[in-house]
Amino acid sequence: MPNPASAPTPAAPADWTQRSRDLAHLLSRSAMGDRAAFKRLYELSSGHLFAVLLRIQRDRNLAEDLLQEVYVSAWKAAANFDAQRAQPLTWLTHIARNKAIDSLRRAQTQPRMESVHPADDQDDRPDLDQRLVDDAPGPAALLERASDARQLGHCMQGLSAQQRQSVALAFFDGLSHAEVAEQLRQPLGTVKSWVRRALATLKTCLERAAQGDSALGA
Amino acid sequence: MDYARRDLADALAAQFVAGTLRGAARRRFETLLPGHPALRGAVADWQARLMPLTGVLRPEAPPAGTWGRIERRLWPANAAAAQPASTPAAAALAWWQGLGFWRAASGLATVAAVGLGVLLANPGPQAPPVLVVLQGTDAGGPGLSLVASVSGDGRALVTRPLQPVALAPGRVLELWAVPPDGAPRSLGLISAAGATLIRRDKLPTALLDARNTAALAVSVEPPGGSPTGAPTGPVIYAGKLQL
Repeated sequence: MPNPASAPTPAAPADWTQRSRDLAHLLSRSAMGDRAAFKRLYELSSGHLFAVLLRIQRDRNLAEDLLQEVYVSAWKAAANFDAQRAQPLTWLTHIARNKAIDSLRRAQTQPRMESVHPADDQDDRPDLDQRLVDDAPGPAALLERASDARQLGHCMQGLSAQQRQSVALAFFDGLSHAEVAEQLRQPLGTVKSWVRRALATLKTCLERAAQGDSALGA
Repeated sequence: MDYARRDLADALAAQFVAGTLRGAARRRFETLLPGHPALRGAVADWQARLMPLTGVLRPEAPPAGTWGRIERRLWPANAAAAQPASTPAAAALAWWQGLGFWRAASGLATVAAVGLGVLLANPGPQAPPVLVVLQGTDAGGPGLSLVASVSGDGRALVTRPLQPVALAPGRVLELWAVPPDGAPRSLGLISAAGATLIRRDKLPTALLDARNTAALAVSVEPPGGSPTGAPTGPVIYAGKLQL
């Protein structure tokens, strides 16, 4: 049950951070055509969205194009944002990921994997954390860091190592099932079922955690 | 709903949000979303579950020129408007031209003004009433419209939806006056089913002054109306005031 002292408003759930409330307010102002609010929204969120885009679309120029598209779409769709359904940054991040994934589809012919890590024909592939030529953390490392997010982290621990890797590659780097399979050198069917089961396990675990929380009155 | 299909919807939503749903399947799924609330709900749930993962990414400042390029794409007309808008009326017009939701709703950006007809009825000795047709936005449904009739002196307003509106239980409609600049003002709750008379004491003075009101809009709100004083739910109707 929500804490009665916090007087939750139906519009912005009580557990929202001030940042989420601010972003939600700016989005609703944008829906009414307020350009200044939209600019502020850009200032507060573009760093995060650009980071999300760059993970998936590593070409900086293309990622910058995508960032423009994200905000053009966000402006046009701002009226669809519903604070009852989604956190504002979640909503924006989803638009960004969608654009980035679509951009990979358009560029499907490019050997994208090969451009990001040095060719390695040996069987002992470098650890996923080290497969990037720059010092950006690998997807597996990111997932570990995500483990700081309390419940999600707890639930991530419930996954097998392969499940975690598969989800991390797909989610952070926008790899398709086939690309994950290639990367991990596993049959496609195996990878598909790892991802499917990983997602199912996460869902069950997060739902159980949410129930546990409400039972504890947290 | 049958459970097998709900499971399938959930599994597809999971793969959609995780990014592993690709190609034609992804496009098909996207085209299904607008018409399937259950599917949208499943997607929203998966977004809430997985998007926190992106919180670990270190923010990356975009190039300095990006915002300017976005502005030029959204508002090409006055993109050169590093120059200040010359008159308040011009500013209001430019402002409205940027209203993406209206364009999306009409699907006919170039003739938006035609569809938004503001009709002057029965010109008489007194100032005639003004009829504002509010069209459904993307969120509301492009087929929808709502008529707001404002008395010529701007001191009484009647609204009436032209089609029935399906609202989730406990949701209400709230009418807003949107000024050319600054925060929208609530004009109160209106009926989703029939006519609502908004009494003059609820209306701001000089509602029909373009400097005060550029548009009317209707949002979906929790019972009792927006708790924040600003629209919180989706805007489902919008219409420009042409005076």
